[in-house]
Amino acid sequence: MPGTRSTTRKLTELLDARFMARLDSLDVLSRKILQGKMQGERRSKKRGQSVEFADHRPYVAGDDLRFVDWNVYGRLDQLFLKLFLAEQDLTVHLLTDVSMSMSVGDPSKAQFVKRLSAALGYVSLVNNNRVTISLFADGVRVRLANMRGRAYLPQMAEMLLTADCGGSSDFEKACRDAESRRIGSGITIVLSDFLFKQGYEAALRRLIGARYDLYVIQVLSPQEIEPKLVGDLKLLDIEDADVAEITVSSALLKYYRRNLAAYCAELNEFCTRRGAVYVRANSADSVESLVLNYLRRVRLLA
Amino acid sequence: MQWLTPFVGLLAAAVAVPLLLLLYFLKLKRREAVVSSTLLWKRAVQDLQVNAPFQRLRRNLLLLLQLLALTAMLVALAGPVLSLDRGPGQRYVVLIDRSASMNATDVTPSRLAEAKKQAKVFVESLRSSSAMALADRADHAMVIAFDRHARVMCNFTSDKRQLMVAIDAIEAGDGASQLSEAVTIARAFAQSPGPDNGPRSDEGLARMVLFSDGCIDDLDAIAVASDELVYHRIGESADNIAITAMKARRSYEQPEQVEVFVSLANYGTQTAARDVQLGIDGDVRAVRSVTIPPRQEGDETQEWTPGKVAVSFSLTHEGQGVVEVRQLEPDALACDDAAWSVLDPPPKLSVLLVTEGNPVLESSLRACPIARLDPCAPAAFDAMEPSAFSLSPYDVIVLDRHAPLHLPRSCYLAFGAVPAEIDVNSPGELENQVIVDWRSRHPVLQYANLTNLFVAQTRALQLPRDAEVLAEFGESPAIALVRRHGSTFLLVGFDVLASNWPFEPSFVLFCYNALSYLAAQQGGGGPHELAVAEPIVIDDVAAGGEVAVTLPDASTVQVAPDPGGTARFPGTYRVGLYAVDVPEEPRRFYAVNLADENESRIEPGDEMTFETMTVSAQPQGVQRANVPLWPALVLTALVLACVEWLIYNKKARI
Repeated sequence: MPGTRSTTRKLTELLDARFMARLDSLDVLSRKILQGKMQGERRSKKRGQSVEFADHRPYVAGDDLRFVDWNVYGRLDQLFLKLFLAEQDLTVHLLTDVSMSMSVGDPSKAQFVKRLSAALGYVSLVNNNRVTISLFADGVRVRLANMRGRAYLPQMAEMLLTADCGGSSDFEKACRDAESRRIGSGITIVLSDFLFKQGYEAALRRLIGARYDLYVIQVLSPQEIEPKLVGDLKLLDIEDADVAEITVSSALLKYYRRNLAAYCAELNEFCTRRGAVYVRANSADSVESLVLNYLRRVRLLA
Repeated sequence: MQWLTPFVGLLAAAVAVPLLLLLYFLKLKRREAVVSSTLLWKRAVQDLQVNAPFQRLRRNLLLLLQLLALTAMLVALAGPVLSLDRGPGQRYVVLIDRSASMNATDVTPSRLAEAKKQAKVFVESLRSSSAMALADRADHAMVIAFDRHARVMCNFTSDKRQLMVAIDAIEAGDGASQLSEAVTIARAFAQSPGPDNGPRSDEGLARMVLFSDGCIDDLDAIAVASDELVYHRIGESADNIAITAMKARRSYEQPEQVEVFVSLANYGTQTAARDVQLGIDGDVRAVRSVTIPPRQEGDETQEWTPGKVAVSFSLTHEGQGVVEVRQLEPDALACDDAAWSVLDPPPKLSVLLVTEGNPVLESSLRACPIARLDPCAPAAFDAMEPSAFSLSPYDVIVLDRHAPLHLPRSCYLAFGAVPAEIDVNSPGELENQVIVDWRSRHPVLQYANLTNLFVAQTRALQLPRDAEVLAEFGESPAIALVRRHGSTFLLVGFDVLASNWPFEPSFVLFCYNALSYLAAQQGGGGPHELAVAEPIVIDDVAAGGEVAVTLPDASTVQVAPDPGGTARFPGTYRVGLYAVDVPEEPRRFYAVNLADENESRIEPGDEMTFETMTVSAQPQGVQRANVPLWPALVLTALVLACVEWLIYNKKARI
C-alpha cells in the first residue's frame, strides 16, 4: 500500500528501525488493574469471562446459571457462582503539548515530545491497547482517538509529523477537554514543559482519577536548565509576548537555577502526593535511553 | 569660593542634565531574546531584588557616575574661583630683597628661595585676562630685585610665565640692602604705561609687595603712603655669629710682622663658644677659641646690641699673602663667617724730594717707612732726562715749591707750587688762612687733625671739575687731588714753612698717609679690600691684553680693558677672594668682605618703620588667591568617565 509505505517512512523520521525493534518487546503497564471497555489482553479487576478463575460468590436470583459451580453445589448443597478475571484492554491517553513554548530550545522540545509520543504510541498500539493522542495548546488541537493495533501507526505518525507548534497554552482547558472525552480506564501521559503561567494544579487534578494512572513527563531544553545569556536583555515570552527586562549577573543566574529547581520539585511533589509519576527530561538527551531505561524504571513500560 | 559665570553653568545644567537622563533611558535599549516562558525569569528577578536591596542602586551606578561627571563639568563651566578678588585689574611691584642677609638658611633652603617661592605664589594668584576672565582687566606686575642697588628683572606685564622666569632669574648676592632706589624705580615705572598697556598711562597707584627679612638700612629715608606697600616677612631666627671687622697690617717697625685684628659679633641670645681659624694662602696658622657673649637686650629707647669680642693674631709673613679668618662652626648666614685681607709686601718706597732745602719736610719723610729718599735740587730735576725715571723709577716725587718744566708719569706731592699743564690755575695769593673743612675719612687725611693749622701765606687754587678737594680754606681749596696724564698730583697750596703745620702732629701723619696713598696709586695695587659690589679696577693694562678674574666659586671671567688701559670688573657680588691675572704681571688678589653689621643682624623684623609710617609684616605667608578650579573639575569629570567606562566593561563581561 503506497500510502502506508509513505507514512511508515514518515514514522521512521521519528523512530528509527532499531529503536522500534526494541520497543516491540515492551508493553504499557498500569499500576492499577483497570477495567477496559473491550476484552483485551489485560487482567482486569472486573470479574469476567476468561479462563483465569478468580473467586466464588453465592448465587442470587437472576445470575447466569452457566457459571454456577456444580461441583461445589454437589459437595456443599449450596449454589455458588464461579467468577473469572476478565482480561480487558487498556486505554492510553497521550496529552502532548504543542504550544509555541515547545518550539523553543536546541534541540527542540517539540521534536523531543513528538518522538517520545511516537515511541509511547508505538508501544501501546503494538500491544493492542486503545490509544488516544491529543495534541494541545490552548485547548486540544488535534486528536486521534481510540486507535488500536499496528494499522494505526502510519496515521499516528502523520499526525505527529504534520502538527506544528502554535498558540499559547491553556493547560486547564486542554485537560478539561481530554478528561471529558476519556472513557474506560487506563493511563494518561502528559508531555509538556509545564511552564504554564496559570498553573498546572487544577488541570492535573482533573486528570487524576480512580480509573487512570497519571504520568507527568516534563521536558525542558538545555537552555532552560542552564541559560547562557549575557548582558542587558529584554526577554520576550514566545507565547504571550510578555517582557522581562533583566541584566544578567551571576546572582540572577543563581536565583534562576534555584527557582527552576524549586518549580520542578513542586511539580514532583504535587504528582507524588496524588499517586502520579513525575519524570523530568532534557530535550538534549536521547529519547531511546529515556524510554528504554527510565520509563521502565518507573514501571510505565515493561 | 566665588563663581565667575554662574548663569552659564545653570543654563548648561538645565539643558544637559535632562538630556543625559533622556540619553540614559534611550541608551538602555536591551537586546531582545526569546525564551519559552518569562515565568521563571520574573521570579528570579523578583528574588534578586528582594534579596539584594542595593541591586537597583547598582544598576544605576553608571547613571550616577555619569551624573557626577556631568555635574563636575557643569560646575567647571560656572567658573568657580577660590578667594576671588573682584574689581578692576591692579598693578603690583614685586620687590625681592637679595641682600646678604637673605642668604640665611634659617628657613630651608634659604630666605631668598623662600621669598622667591612666595613671590611665585603671589604671581600665580594674579588675575589673568584669558577667556575665563577673572577681571575686566588683568593684573599687571613687575619684578625688582634689590640689594644696595635695584635691578628691574621684568617690566609691568600680565604674562605670569614671564614674571616667573624673572623671579627665577634673581640670584643671591652679598650686598647691603637699601630699599630707596628700588622704591624710586618702582614709582617711576608705575607712572609709565608699560609695554602691555599701549599709550595709556596708569592712573592708579601701583602697590608694592615686598619680600624681605626686614633688615634694611635706609628705611627712615623712605616715605610710603598707607596701603602702598605690603611687607611679607621672610626668615625666623636671629642666631648668627659674624666676623664684623677684620684688618691685617704690617707692624710699623718690623714689616715682616703681621698683626691681624678680628671682631666677632654674636647676634643670638646664647653665649657662643667658637673656634676662629687664621690662615695665610690656605695654610692654617692658628686656631683660637673665643667665647662671644650673647646680645644685650635693649629697652624702649635703645635697640639691642650684639655681643662682641675682639681677637688679634700676630704672625710673621714676608711678601704678598692672603690672610683668611674663618669662624669654624657653620651658622645660618655663611657669608659673614669668613673674612679675607690681602697683605702687600712690606712697602719699600723710593721717594725723590725736589727741594732747595727743607729740613722739616725731609725729616718728616725720612720718618716714614721708605726704602730710600733722594734729595734733588730743582735745577737738577729739570735737567734729568725723562728716561731716567723709567730706568730707576721713584714711587713718589715730592715737589717743594717747584713747578717743573716736564712732568714724567709718576705720583706727585706738591707743596706751595702748582705744576703746569694740569688744568690747575693759581689766580693769586691769600694770607692768614685756617682750614675750615677737611675730609677726615679720606686715606690721605685719616687720623690727621687740621683744626689748629694756620697758614700765613698760600696760593689760591682754581681746580678742574674732576679734582678732589681734601681740605679747604675759607676762600680756596687747601689740599686737592688731581689726576692728569696718568699721573696723580696731591697738591698742597701752601708752603709748609709758611705755616704752623710742622709743629702739628698731623703733618707727620699727612706725610705718611700721602706717601702710602700715592705709593698705592703708583703701584697699581689700589685698595685690595673691597666692599661687596665695589668694582675691581686695574689700570695700565697693556693694549690687547685681557684681564682674567677668578671668582670665589672658581669660575673665570675675562675682562677687556677700555682704550685708556683700565679694566673694570664690577661683578664682586659675593664675598670671597677674587684673583686677577694681568698678562705679564704677578697675580693680584682682592678680598671682598661683608663686614656689614646690618646684614649680619639677620633677625627678621616684624615691622618696618618708614619715615612716614610703620608697616607690619603680613601675619601669614602669601595666600593663594584667584585660583580657578575648573581644571581640577574637568580632571574629576575625566576620571569619573573613565571609572564609568571600566564599570560598564566589567559588567558586560559577566
